[in-house]
Amino acid sequence: MSPTKIPGELSVSFRYTPGVGNTAFFEALRDRGVFLGSRCDDCGVTYVPARIFCERCLAELDPSEECGPEGELVSWTVARVDVDDRPLDEPVTYGLVRLDGADTVFLHRLIDLEDAPEIGGRLRAVLAEDRTGSIFDVEGFAPASR
Amino acid sequence: MSPRVAVVGAGMSRFVRRAQETGKELSWIAAREALASCELKLEDVDAVCLTSAPDAFDGVHRKGDYLADGAGAWAKPYMRTYVGGGSGVFTAIQGWYTVASGLADVVVCVAEEKMSSCQPHPQGAFLTIFDNILERPLGPNLLWIFALEMQRYMQAYGLDKRDIAQVAVKNKRNAADHPAALLGQTDITVEDVLASETLAWPVQRLDVSPISDGAVAIVMASEDAAKRLTDRPVWVQGVGWNLDTTYWTNRDLAYPEYVENAARMAYGMAGVNEPRKEIHVAEPYDPFDYKELHHLEGLLLFDRGKAPEAAAAGVTARDGDLPCCPSGGLLGVGNPIAAAGLMKIAELFWQLRREAGARQVPGTPERGVAQAWGDLMQVGTVVVMGNDGGPLTTATQSPPPQSPPPSPRATPLSDQEFRSATGAVEQRLDTLYDWDAGEAIGAFLDGLRAQRILATICISCGRTLVPPRKFCERCFRPTDSWTEVPQTGNVETFSICHVTWDMQPLEVPQIPAVIRLDGTSEGGFLHLLGEVAPDDVRAGMEVEAVWKPAGERSGSILDIAYFRPLDQEVRRELVATATVEKTLESTV
Amino acid sequence: MGVVGVGWSGFSPTTAGISYKELMFEAARQAYADAGLDPRSEIDSFVCCSEDLEEGTSIFDEYVPDQLGAVQRPVQTVASDGLFGVATAMMLIRSGVASTVAVESHSKASDIVSTGRVDRFAMDPVLNRPLGVSATVLAGLEMRRWLHVSGRSEDECAEVAARNRDHARNNPRASYADTHDPTPLFDPLTHEQAAEPADGCVVLVLAAEEKTPEGAVFIDGIGWSQDAPSVESREWDRAAAAERAARAAYERAGIDASDVEFAEVDDTYAYKQLQHLDALGLDELDPDRVNVSGGALGEGHLREANGLARALACIERLRAGDAHVGLAQSWRGVPSTSAAVAVMRR
Repeated sequence: MSPTKIPGELSVSFRYTPGVGNTAFFEALRDRGVFLGSRCDDCGVTYVPARIFCERCLAELDPSEECGPEGELVSWTVARVDVDDRPLDEPVTYGLVRLDGADTVFLHRLIDLEDAPEIGGRLRAVLAEDRTGSIFDVEGFAPASR
Repeated sequence: MSPRVAVVGAGMSRFVRRAQETGKELSWIAAREALASCELKLEDVDAVCLTSAPDAFDGVHRKGDYLADGAGAWAKPYMRTYVGGGSGVFTAIQGWYTVASGLADVVVCVAEEKMSSCQPHPQGAFLTIFDNILERPLGPNLLWIFALEMQRYMQAYGLDKRDIAQVAVKNKRNAADHPAALLGQTDITVEDVLASETLAWPVQRLDVSPISDGAVAIVMASEDAAKRLTDRPVWVQGVGWNLDTTYWTNRDLAYPEYVENAARMAYGMAGVNEPRKEIHVAEPYDPFDYKELHHLEGLLLFDRGKAPEAAAAGVTARDGDLPCCPSGGLLGVGNPIAAAGLMKIAELFWQLRREAGARQVPGTPERGVAQAWGDLMQVGTVVVMGNDGGPLTTATQSPPPQSPPPSPRATPLSDQEFRSATGAVEQRLDTLYDWDAGEAIGAFLDGLRAQRILATICISCGRTLVPPRKFCERCFRPTDSWTEVPQTGNVETFSICHVTWDMQPLEVPQIPAVIRLDGTSEGGFLHLLGEVAPDDVRAGMEVEAVWKPAGERSGSILDIAYFRPLDQEVRRELVATATVEKTLESTV
Repeated sequence: MGVVGVGWSGFSPTTAGISYKELMFEAARQAYADAGLDPRSEIDSFVCCSEDLEEGTSIFDEYVPDQLGAVQRPVQTVASDGLFGVATAMMLIRSGVASTVAVESHSKASDIVSTGRVDRFAMDPVLNRPLGVSATVLAGLEMRRWLHVSGRSEDECAEVAARNRDHARNNPRASYADTHDPTPLFDPLTHEQAAEPADGCVVLVLAAEEKTPEGAVFIDGIGWSQDAPSVESREWDRAAAAERAARAAYERAGIDASDVEFAEVDDTYAYKQLQHLDALGLDELDPDRVNVSGGALGEGHLREANGLARALACIERLRAGDAHVGLAQSWRGVPSTSAAVAVMRR
């Protein structure tokens, strides 16, 4: 007799408010097309997206540094499968970009690539025309030389 | 003797219904306040401890990792522990052993909860705490188990709703003096509570603490470090924790044995032999009003069934002989699950340093006990704290600060603001499972499909167990044989529930009940009653299973449609037949 | 702190017909029998390492005591990997509140329809998760970054996978000795360089030194740490958390890296094994003394029990008398940065 397997799920949904720091970041991105960060002078770290606290010393921070829109490629990878490990129809390239002025990296898609990306390469953020205040206000990062 | 560990600082966010802040930001608010309260720099913290109750509220798997930055744990040894609703008080226990082990001198302990992320109603997340195979298909509402326990407690000791409602009044009034409180109310009365909407009889709306967002943090230190950080450390004198069996339907809910076990462990360590005399202030866990009373008895502060009359006599009022929940408790301050428990530790800290301002209990309290509870009516966590009776402020010093300071931080959002917040993201929890029922439950479900209720037997303790399991949890040995039990039994406890698991009103109330089947030991399982008017249900009532037709049975707890009242004649016949069958089976 | 009992169950891609409770009962029975202890009266405290979303049940803590013999005993859950449970046991014992502690962790990965979805739900819900990508993207990114800064090659990583699986042939617990799928996963990471999940449970019984018999395995030092949880601000060039955990473990054990004779380190991805060896100061250790069990690549990945699987392999090796000083290390896997290190001796 085959073992009894019972299918199930956790039937819960969420509405996540982005928080005080991210709200400032998304408003700046949506309204002005800029990447807002926060600097902790004591620790010498500029965080993008903006935060209201420094994780290294817990000092309160002000979301007031404008960074990017260009930056340096820290790493990249090509997604071949989806979250269920099924092959993707089209591979998607993702990268970590350190925006000019920031000490942190930004995870997003790499787009408009003609050649394989190179660590250390210069990239530029491509913003969406219609922005709503979300990570998709950025379409992706493309090579800056174009 | 364990090394001495003290609480040297505490801080918290405001408790609000919906915070704009992320869980990280709430944790930061609390951690920063706690560090500021003893002028401690993060670089001087050796380790960070955190608790937070289910991930299904904040909506982040491995919530501990996610909150680490707000808790000040960057590049530090950091651990999240988790005992359901008992977590908040357990944070202090975790901090205690982290320091007492000698592996850290100064630790920050944070408890956080952001319940508002959960949609459509945070209450709905509680559906997922029930047994995935035997209980969740019934659509149980968290209110059910509280109602079942409350009903059992009231019935066992002949208690009146009025005695219980006064706890809600006391705590909500006390909370009016708590700067972080969500629900402080100076003018609430027992009549207000008794007139509030019945959710799941006997639970009414004002018996229940409000779901909230919030965070609390404390700083704990070794003896040497404590003396550097403050001139008034509050020492952890005893810790205790205890977890009872998962099979809550096999237990008598009238008394929380696991709270007593945890209390004895903590009192033993603290050298407390007469708790009622030696404890001067108590912060028992009060998610519902009756729980405060239930827990005060488990804490051995009052005899079983006697807490209500002591409360009625004013013993537990702030100016009474044993003030209980001077903070305002969960009922008044709010219930961000883990944070609420740690708020009680913070309250004792402030009370024992005479910093509680308008909430300060009179006299010179030297020792207090904080307690939290959680899981499926299962876990007790207890901490005894004391100030060593040392001198507090001298005449030449300025009066102590009021703690927490006024206007604790958190940005409350109205429902409208919440719905329209910039950058808000909506997502469903999309994980999927295919649970192996295993040998025991697999056989049980097969039995249900065949219209039989099966049980396992442990010959060592002589118990017949439903739900069946391959191991006896009492004797810790494999169970010995299988048997079929009668399909009749008694209602051990029940509730009349008027709302669904996600708080939608029900036209026809549901009647969940714990049914003790004939021929089993100590209870059976959770199910629903049918073919009976709510007013006619009684504890002890005899019932029989009503099955779905064979074609509709699939090997599920729902193969039993419900249990209905049974008359005595039919019951005697059925029991007699089942006994004969059982005898035959065990001789095969 | 001494290891007085070990037990395990499962260690296969599926455990059909057995529930997680039954899996736990089997491992616990073995461990208590090995220790000669009755959990109902001779074990002071119980520590379980689990996460709700791994199980599909909230407040999973509720569901552990019965099958461990822990009813009405002090039980707590640590929301982390099994080695964090071992660290907790050490703190409980050193604090004096317990002198014997049982530590448990398990994986019933075969009950999870898509482990990818579980892992992804640990990503930041506002900044990262909406991209829709699997959490494995972080492994692909980290691997490429690390090859770049360390000067290692993809071939060296492929070698790690091959060697671990070769070692696994001698391990009766290993299910993936013959796996071979070089197809790309998240470039430059390939499928065969990523450990596949397995079911299993490990229970350890740990005791204060004075309650541990002569000749037992002793855990002399434990360290645990983590890095910034956020993708944006974590260290991308090295396994910083493992470095810090190792430093603390070595200091507490009174040794340095050169004293370690063999190691069971996390190899959730082949590159991680090399990166972790660097972080632990064990890059010079003979490769045939690393993950001799086959690691997760060979045995299968036991999710939050993975660290205990490494510890189990370490304990068995020491008990067999093959060496005197060993090390077990864990990492929680993407998207986590948490790591723990235990130094053991016999």
